Amino acid sequence: MIELDFRAPLASFTLEVRVTLESTSVAVLGPSGAGKTSLLEVLAGLRPARGKVVVDGQPLLDDGAGVRLAPEARRIGYVPQDALLFPHLTVRRNIEFGMRADARAVVDAIGLLELSPLQDRRPETLSGGERQRVALARALATSPRLLLLDEPLAALDVELKERILPYLVRVRDEARVPFLYVTHQVGEAEAVATEALVLDAGRVRAHGPAREVLPGAAEPGTSYENVLVGNLRGGRLVLPGGGTLVVPPAPGLPEGARVAYSVPAEDVLVSAHPLDGVSARNVIEARVAAVGEVGAEAQVRAEAGGFEWHAKLTTAASRELRLAPGAQVWLAVKTHSLRRLR
Amino acid sequence: MSDDLQLLWFTLGTASLATALIFPFGVLAGAGLARWRGPGSGLVETALSLPLVLPPTAVGMVLLELLGRKFGLGQALDAAGLDVVYTWKAVVLASAVMGFPLLVRSARSAFEGVDPRLAGISRTLGRGRVQTFLRVSLPLSWRGVLAGAVLAFSRALGEFGATFLVAGNIPGRTQTLALAIFQRVQLGEDAAAFRLVALTTALAFAAIWVTERVTRRRPAPAGKGAG
Repeated sequence: MIELDFRAPLASFTLEVRVTLESTSVAVLGPSGAGKTSLLEVLAGLRPARGKVVVDGQPLLDDGAGVRLAPEARRIGYVPQDALLFPHLTVRRNIEFGMRADARAVVDAIGLLELSPLQDRRPETLSGGERQRVALARALATSPRLLLLDEPLAALDVELKERILPYLVRVRDEARVPFLYVTHQVGEAEAVATEALVLDAGRVRAHGPAREVLPGAAEPGTSYENVLVGNLRGGRLVLPGGGTLVVPPAPGLPEGARVAYSVPAEDVLVSAHPLDGVSARNVIEARVAAVGEVGAEAQVRAEAGGFEWHAKLTTAASRELRLAPGAQVWLAVKTHSLRRLR
Repeated sequence: MSDDLQLLWFTLGTASLATALIFPFGVLAGAGLARWRGPGSGLVETALSLPLVLPPTAVGMVLLELLGRKFGLGQALDAAGLDVVYTWKAVVLASAVMGFPLLVRSARSAFEGVDPRLAGISRTLGRGRVQTFLRVSLPLSWRGVLAGAVLAFSRALGEFGATFLVAGNIPGRTQTLALAIFQRVQLGEDAAAFRLVALTTALAFAAIWVTERVTRRRPAPAGKGAG
């Protein structure tokens, strides 16, 4: 549990956060310059603030009681946007850098993030996604009580296979380290977090369970990615809710492997009638949960087997199909629209 | 010839000692100035650079006064039975004072070239200030720090004015190569002076060449694309 009640002056406004985060996986969203990175820095002790920061009952900052723990005393792992690997050290030395990074923790972190082939490389030879993974391993190897992750701003342009998300799912499920995850992708946030915090100009605009908060958090102009995390069985992706999807072949992955796939909202076809005789391998019977119209675009959310699909169509099409909450629809997703995240 | 060798060893010895003496302070001052931007930081920086622009004889004069009986420093040294003025210690002191700003300036710009957020990350990984300095800031700026040390060393090799005032020009006791060249020329022994010039040139050449070799950045390993 993270109790925040602090003020931190930034260049153009004051970051003022007063919120109690209950879950172990929190997504932080908001437009660029909303103060998301600064929030992480205050938690890590890298940015001065006044007020209170309490993690699992231990005050890290408490002006009233004169508590102000140094960053090295906080046990909070921080993965910044640009990874900030130590340029004079190899990947392995970077991961071993932490004070509490014992041999076992290092080996575990390298294994979890699949970094053994990169161990002897220098940071300047790594791709952006690889750097993020190394930075995550470096933080993880210190056995932190909390991880702070800042997805690169350019994440929207980063190739899907480079995304950190599938590894974050592993950190959540296998290493079981609580985290705060700054992202621009509402779909990713839904896939990975149970709680969400939306910041805007230094204030908390929304906070609550991810399912309730995230649908309204999409930034205008950004596309929505449906992110599906499940296990591979016989060439199909089996979702936790029981649904299955035909996905492109993923050579080299063992049966049962946990994988993540992504499909943009505009690649999900919506039909008001049962579909047969179509080439799309995935036709899913779903129920409309909500329809939102912005200008000529309509965002349709439809539930099937515990997963909420997002589809983007034109307002005209949405009206023609008479889409409204409760309506039954069929969603078609081409196999090759599903792209694997790493 | 044996006089020349004695001069060479004496000059190398005092210059090395002077550099060793200022090294830790110069590195710390450089690191401090690189990060600290408080009120008066400009003033401190200017004061530290004064020996660079003042005539060395002026610096020598100030040192001479400070070491004299009028001031606490001179009195303390006197009480401890330490004679500094007109001894080899004065040669070391004068060279150290003249070389210090060169070391500080070079170290400062080297530390300024290190992303301060790297130090922040090191702290979140559990390393305190001292460890962070030794493991991150210093290794990332050692080229500039070393270059500064060589500059200070070279300055010490050639120091003349300040040394002349506080240490005199006593053959066999406080005479360095630079002072000896001056003396030989005054005595009209041009050939002997030229021999010393050749020796000094060789020394300076070696110092600069070694630094260039050591501090040159190795090119990044090529051919390993993103995986």
